[in-house]
Amino acid sequence: MTDDRSDETAAIELRGLSKRFGDTLALDRVDLVVRPGAVFGFLGRNGAGKTTALRILSGLARPTAGTAHILGHDVERATDTVRARIGFLPDVPGFYPWMTAREYLEFAGRLFGIDQATLDARTTALLEMAGLASVTTRIGGFSRGMKQRLGIAQALINAPSLLMLDEPTSALDPIGRREVLEMVASLRGRTTVFFSTHILADVERVCDAVAILERGRVVASAGIGELTARAAANRLVVEIEGETGVVAVADALRGRSWLKSIETDGRTLRLAVSDLATAQREIPAAIAAAGVALRRFEIEETSLEDVFVELVGGPGGSGGPVQ
Amino acid sequence: MTGFGAFLRKELTEIRRTWRIWVIPGMLVFFGVTSPIIAALTPALVRSMATSQPGLVIQIPPPTARDAYVQFIKSLDQLVLIAIIITGAGVVSGERSSGTAILALTKPLSRGAFVVTKVLSQTMLLVVATALGTAVCLAVTAVVFDAAGAAHLVTAVALWLVYAVLLIAVMTLFSAAFQSRGAAAGAGLGFYFLTLLLGAWGPAARYSFLGLVLATQKALVFESQPLGWQLATAVVATGVVTVAAMGIFERREL
Repeated sequence: MTDDRSDETAAIELRGLSKRFGDTLALDRVDLVVRPGAVFGFLGRNGAGKTTALRILSGLARPTAGTAHILGHDVERATDTVRARIGFLPDVPGFYPWMTAREYLEFAGRLFGIDQATLDARTTALLEMAGLASVTTRIGGFSRGMKQRLGIAQALINAPSLLMLDEPTSALDPIGRREVLEMVASLRGRTTVFFSTHILADVERVCDAVAILERGRVVASAGIGELTARAAANRLVVEIEGETGVVAVADALRGRSWLKSIETDGRTLRLAVSDLATAQREIPAAIAAAGVALRRFEIEETSLEDVFVELVGGPGGSGGPVQ
Repeated sequence: MTGFGAFLRKELTEIRRTWRIWVIPGMLVFFGVTSPIIAALTPALVRSMATSQPGLVIQIPPPTARDAYVQFIKSLDQLVLIAIIITGAGVVSGERSSGTAILALTKPLSRGAFVVTKVLSQTMLLVVATALGTAVCLAVTAVVFDAAGAAHLVTAVALWLVYAVLLIAVMTLFSAAFQSRGAAAGAGLGFYFLTLLLGAWGPAARYSFLGLVLATQKALVFESQPLGWQLATAVVATGVVTVAAMGIFERREL
């Protein structure tokens, strides 16, 4: 889903993208391809480098090394061409508080040079979509959720080929979050959506594909189903008859080269392995050698959260918590 | 410069709908009204102070329209220029810190157009406000005194305006260069006092915009003076400073 493809231009293509702030390497040789039409989640802890990548993609910052292409255009060279085809919502959108929502959308549309008739129609449709059609107060009086929905609407005023959203739900209450996610989901098939988040549930809810960023590096990039299936293939659940044999079996398996971790719980062993085929041969043999009977042997169902925790080392790391 | 027209329209609407419409125009109209009145009342005030001290005799000539104009120009030279510095300090840095610049600049609005629009909209506001304040000053002066020497006031105000527009460009440069509004305001005040200081040096005053403030005062006392160097260098400096502001903002990461 996120592999290189020569038959269609990638919506986003990052090659060896690095960004350094003094001694801090915010992005470390990031390679990433997002196919057109996807709703793509850019997942990582706070401070992983997601906003830095989006700032480079939107032309607000320059990379230290590497390249970033949007729809085939280098973001550093073809700035006008790129900006004409993207919509962007930063994590905390700043609006002119003295404007109304309609006035802001009209202002944004004029920056794109959209003719008045099209702009009128588009503004009305986007205000409807954002649930702001009947709101006549100035933006200065808007709630955070209203601003976020207006933020998505303004990012869509030019009917962009690529919509980039930076943490669009991070500071919203459950209702505001649901409204924003519904807006994002409604765009599926109409434009490519690339949104960064540290909220796993949001990615699982609306994304087709995901890249996981950790300490400035992409540690995984695939379709969500593919990613969880890939991780599931490395996690086994083994249940044996009687609790007394569990310790013996665990001791027999410890130290094997393919074993990454092992946990015991009553009669159950949970194992993370690096070589599934070898594990499938050696685990039953070890159980038989310990003289206990095997009750259940299966590949564990895995959620995106399991994948994330396995890849980035759990919520107690350097970044903030992952919800 | 893509997006120029749309952004200029936004700037002008913002001036009209926010506090910006009140500060500089309000000051200029206020000084336009009060300068002739202060000029008219000053001798009476001084005499009343003198009567409270027996034996002190102060001879003050009767006030004239020129005193009103001098009072008005003094206010422009000091308070209005400082107001320009303070309000100008946030024109770019304020948009950057509030996040409004990010939303605008990720659309087809070039950073050059952003900066030029800031200079142009402030200049338009100042020109209109100055014209209004000067007209008010002339009208009140005509009521309080005999109308005389209006052309000299207009000349003096025009010279002041050239310097004030340069100051707008300088403040836009500082606002683009510094992260904080306070730092930009500090740099602007430094520039203002430095130009006052250097303007006292004869050659600098004769051959550069540094002489404009002095030229403003001379115009009021009906002194004819060559102004080519001062005006030409002010116009060139305004252009150079604006281009420098564009270059700095172009390179800045947001």
